[in-house]
Amino acid sequence: MSNYLNKSLKELHELLKTKQITPLDLVEESFAKIKENNDLNAFITLDEENARSEAKKLTEMEVEDDLLFGIPIAIKDNILTKDLKTTCASNMLKDFIPIFSATVVDKIKKHHMIIIGKTNMDEFAMGSTSQTSCFGAPKNPWNKKKISGGSSGGSATCVAAGLTPLALGSDTGGSIRQPASYTGLVGMKPSYGRVSRYGLVAFASSLDQIGPFSKNVYDNAVLLNALVGIDEHDLTSVDLPSEDFTRDIGKEIKGMKIAIPNYFTSSIVSDEILENLSKVEEMLVENGAIVDHIDMKFLDKAVPLYQIIAMGEASSNLARFDGVRYGYSNPDSKSVDELYEKSRALGFGDEVKRRIMVGSYLLSGEKATAYYNKALQIRDDMKKEFDRVFEHYDFVLGPTTTTVAYNLGEKLNDPSQSFLDDVLVIPVNMAGLPGLNIPTGFNNEHMPIGMHIIANRFLEAKIYHLASFIEKKLNLPLIRGEE
Amino acid sequence: MNDYKKTIGIEVHVELKTNTKMFSSATNGFGITANHNITPIDLGYPGTLPLINQNGVELALRAAVVLNCQINKEMHFDRKNYFYPDLPKGYQITQARTPIGVNGYIMIPLESGEKKIRIHDIHIEEDTAKSLHQEGHSYLDFNRAGVPLVEIVTEPDMNSDIEAMAYLEKLRELLLYANVSDCKMEEGSMRCDVNVSVSKTEKLGTRSEIKNIGSIHNVGLAINAEAKRQIELLEKSEKIIEDTRRYDEKNNQTILMRVKETGNDYRYFPEPDIPYLSLSDAFIKNVQENLPVMPEERRKTYLDGGISKINADKLIQNRELSDYLLNFSKINLVIASNLLLGDISSYLNKSNVSLNNTKLTIENFKQVVDKLEKKELSSKNVKDILNDLMEKECSLDEILSSNNIQNISDVSLLREIVLNIIKANEASVKDYKEGKDRAIKYLMGQIMKETKGSANPSVVNQILIDELTKL
Repeated sequence: MSNYLNKSLKELHELLKTKQITPLDLVEESFAKIKENNDLNAFITLDEENARSEAKKLTEMEVEDDLLFGIPIAIKDNILTKDLKTTCASNMLKDFIPIFSATVVDKIKKHHMIIIGKTNMDEFAMGSTSQTSCFGAPKNPWNKKKISGGSSGGSATCVAAGLTPLALGSDTGGSIRQPASYTGLVGMKPSYGRVSRYGLVAFASSLDQIGPFSKNVYDNAVLLNALVGIDEHDLTSVDLPSEDFTRDIGKEIKGMKIAIPNYFTSSIVSDEILENLSKVEEMLVENGAIVDHIDMKFLDKAVPLYQIIAMGEASSNLARFDGVRYGYSNPDSKSVDELYEKSRALGFGDEVKRRIMVGSYLLSGEKATAYYNKALQIRDDMKKEFDRVFEHYDFVLGPTTTTVAYNLGEKLNDPSQSFLDDVLVIPVNMAGLPGLNIPTGFNNEHMPIGMHIIANRFLEAKIYHLASFIEKKLNLPLIRGEE
Repeated sequence: MNDYKKTIGIEVHVELKTNTKMFSSATNGFGITANHNITPIDLGYPGTLPLINQNGVELALRAAVVLNCQINKEMHFDRKNYFYPDLPKGYQITQARTPIGVNGYIMIPLESGEKKIRIHDIHIEEDTAKSLHQEGHSYLDFNRAGVPLVEIVTEPDMNSDIEAMAYLEKLRELLLYANVSDCKMEEGSMRCDVNVSVSKTEKLGTRSEIKNIGSIHNVGLAINAEAKRQIELLEKSEKIIEDTRRYDEKNNQTILMRVKETGNDYRYFPEPDIPYLSLSDAFIKNVQENLPVMPEERRKTYLDGGISKINADKLIQNRELSDYLLNFSKINLVIASNLLLGDISSYLNKSNVSLNNTKLTIENFKQVVDKLEKKELSSKNVKDILNDLMEKECSLDEILSSNNIQNISDVSLLREIVLNIIKANEASVKDYKEGKDRAIKYLMGQIMKETKGSANPSVVNQILIDELTKL
């Protein structure tokens, strides 16, 4: 079997341009590897026929001056793809075939990328291990006994295993960055409003963003270049001057000011990760960065805040799945109320139902003021706290996760436990900031460790700048099989 | 029984006259084949997001302005969550915390004078789909889902059926004239829910809400029927339970739909898919300054111009005729309104056309009114040429000459005709001299006959008396 898919976009582009390989070669390699690694359970639906015919079409064409031309990509299964099943890993949408594509899907198609299939995930993106998928959890390519994180676990598994060079995920409370950290990938959650949410099945509308997974920083920035832009279909998308996110990649970092909040290095984080972080910190200081350890308020409120806001919004966003218009509709119901009850009871899994119930409770009556309105207030305070820090610093830095990827099946009996996996990444969603996971090492069981780079709103290019510097300095063996 | 005081508050939903729906690009129209006027947004299709109809915001703002409301310049939308098959998303996008307008009022005319009815708020929301229940099946038509509405909520400021009906008439008039809505109750573009309570003291009684009453007339009937029901209960020392009812026209009574649940909870929270809207001062000013001429201003113009109160009201009720009058700055309003409400209205009724679809030009209308004022045309003349005026693309002169109507005001020409008639009717002249008044009428008739009615009657009359006196 050929082995091109682990190469960088620049290398692949050169090979395509010089006709040493064709887009069809890449697609065939991708499907062959997916079959060979079937046990990873990275995909829910493959689009073999269309991918092949698209690849054949592209093979006939002149290779455009576009690094994304002819490159296979995998899409998280909560992003609508016209005529291609989009399940959200839920029995509710097990047979749902969308009538339109998400804006991001249209965008990558314009770049002649080839969609290989739809990746596994937590049901409706609710979870941090992808184990709430009704199709079973994807596995971590670094150790198949381990989770690949969530909710975009399938996309992480896919890229980490070299099944496709790139994938799209969505991130509501860490769902790109945390699995990227568990699988040794670069994963970016762009600033809120950077990327259109049109066609993303909503979990928590004020937090959701779509973003890229890749094996290296440069490729990540190239894919983000293709995803961004104001969209007339999404009023929360933001109109910004177009920019090239790769523009500062490879530059020096002398004089950059970095803040590490004390909460991010507190006892909630495992020792092996803290050790790794201090090594990276040392390296940054050696190279002229100024690193301060600071106190930041409200960071410790992230999980309860997330539970209230995300679940409140989710309880409303998922109300449309009532068995009346689309999705699972219980055929035995005799009345409308019964139709609602049975369709939702049987269509949704436990975690989704739990979150809908908690969300509905938190938005109800007197409690709404006590919980929801208070949460909105603290969210605002958290934003202001980041604003304050960014007046003096270019970046906020910390570990992405408190531990490395743990075993499948672990922590399953305590629903609140899994939220703690995202304790370090949620504040970024709350404040609408961009955040990225950059792999920074391995623990002694050779499981990847990642670092979380946060910058002020819309400063993704700055994040790629620092991330690329770390990537170059550490030069980690991140490609499986070549380590 | 008469010592009970009724307290009434009204919630009115009106559909905004936009081209498209509030949150999607589907047409805002009536009478389209079921489920043919929908986009994925209207179905709450997964992955869709609401858009915002600027014109909808503008019309709502205009309504808020004519209802004298304070404007919420920083406003947002909220989600009202509940399950119902006609609600595709499982929530309705509405405005709970920042309605576009608050603390307004309108003045309603009563026999005793004007009364101020306070408006609690006016907010923008989307309509639901329509359910049809037939032969044990339920059908859903999503054409209406997402149609822009404003809901206008009063304070409980009305105390009788008369006041409630006057409020609705006035509200309808204002919204029609502001071009906010068609306000057609029969098509559902205006819908009323009425809250009624009765009490012997200052403390308000427990209220019932009567939903979706089909006409303003029925609002009055429903209020009285409901008040009667409540008073009868109280007289029997029974308790009134807060409930939702409907009005049964056939039996003139209200019927229980459901008892209001305590803690009925819509889990409102800010709609995260639509950013806060900032209504700029320039935008608000633009709406305020470009309001159509409102009925009160028109009414004042009419009364100042000498039009009777009855005719002024008739004009206001007939928007087309009232708008037509706006074309003229210097015109005899009495003559013009008589012409519009008289001959022209009956022509329009008879031919079943609207004024805009006739050939009547602004120039011709103005000339006819001016000539009537100068008595250069008689009202009979106008009757004779009316069909031509409405149907032919000709100038007034062309119409008059083709009907052989020349208005003869030429004194020397008329004097000649008068002298001829006097000569030919010696007997009548003699009668006149003997004081028989009808003789002059006969002579006038003869002259008009001679001139085929085109002589200016007052000029003729003057000449005739002149000449007769000379004899």
